[in-house]
Amino acid sequence: MPRNLRVCLAASAGGHISELLQLESCWRGRDCFFVTTSRVVEGQLTRFGRVYTVPESNRQHPVRVLGTLVGCLRIVFAERPAVVLSTGAAVGCLMALLGKLAGARIIWIDSIANVERLSLSGRLVRPFADLILTQWPEVAQQYDGVEYAGHVL
Amino acid sequence: MIFLTVGTVLPFDRLVRAVDQAIETRLITRPVFAQIGQTALRPRNMEWVATLEKSAFDRKVAEADFVIGHAGMGSVMIALQHRKRLLVMPRMRQYGEHVNDHQVADARRFAELGYVLVAYESAELPSRLRQIESFIPVPRRSQADQVAQRIARFLQEMEGSLLRKHNSFCLGDLRGLR
Repeated sequence: MPRNLRVCLAASAGGHISELLQLESCWRGRDCFFVTTSRVVEGQLTRFGRVYTVPESNRQHPVRVLGTLVGCLRIVFAERPAVVLSTGAAVGCLMALLGKLAGARIIWIDSIANVERLSLSGRLVRPFADLILTQWPEVAQQYDGVEYAGHVL
Repeated sequence: MIFLTVGTVLPFDRLVRAVDQAIETRLITRPVFAQIGQTALRPRNMEWVATLEKSAFDRKVAEADFVIGHAGMGSVMIALQHRKRLLVMPRMRQYGEHVNDHQVADARRFAELGYVLVAYESAELPSRLRQIESFIPVPRRSQADQVAQRIARFLQEMEGSLLRKHNSFCLGDLRGLR
């Protein structure tokens, strides 16, 4: 019986991870694992679940994105998450895309850093994400299917 | 003590240099402790480290009279949670400090709302440093619980529909047996 959904918590190191940790009450106690981009943050995550680290990448380094992609692919195969929950950025986008292809549901929380419009990653996952939240009401108004439910900071 | 931070991911030499300069010219007289990232820059007038573990980072913020940082949301979040005065300098794309100018927009928005002070350029740092002495930030209340509840509701609905699917599948099997 499908009782405890396996949740992938994906966020790059820095503010994105901090935002994900703010949302602890919705994933704590579930079967969850982390995908992030720096060993510096690993220490604060291991007490909540398994932690995978993939190379940091962004739009300026397409080759590195490929490296991250391979890393993410391995993780999706090994873990088979039922849900991918991400606060951004590139690593969340890739885990969301690969997770979706493997049948997972996608929850995207656009970072509070995006005050004027959705992040590039948010715009990329929007067509296939199952729940998208922004942290600014003005941003929610610009897009169909994007909700505002408050801010985590 | 003033805590200076550039965040976990990238160095931000423009800010570190500006603060180092401000100490040199006695604009800053308090001791400064800095987290400056992986960089070749060696500040002369402050104690510094490249990176800090989360718990050590929190401790530094708690101890600080005020915080100077990049306009990254991780740093901003911790400073506001500790109700610290915060002066931010946004990373800019034109200086190769980030992939886009979202930190400029963030700094502007948070300053408009009264949470932080901003120096966009190094030249603005002296006047903002004078201002921060009497700056009283608007308290910011997180709504993380609300957001987490929305997500929890989604997960519960998902579990509910999976369970229904599972049950109807089992009933179908029984019917097939008959």
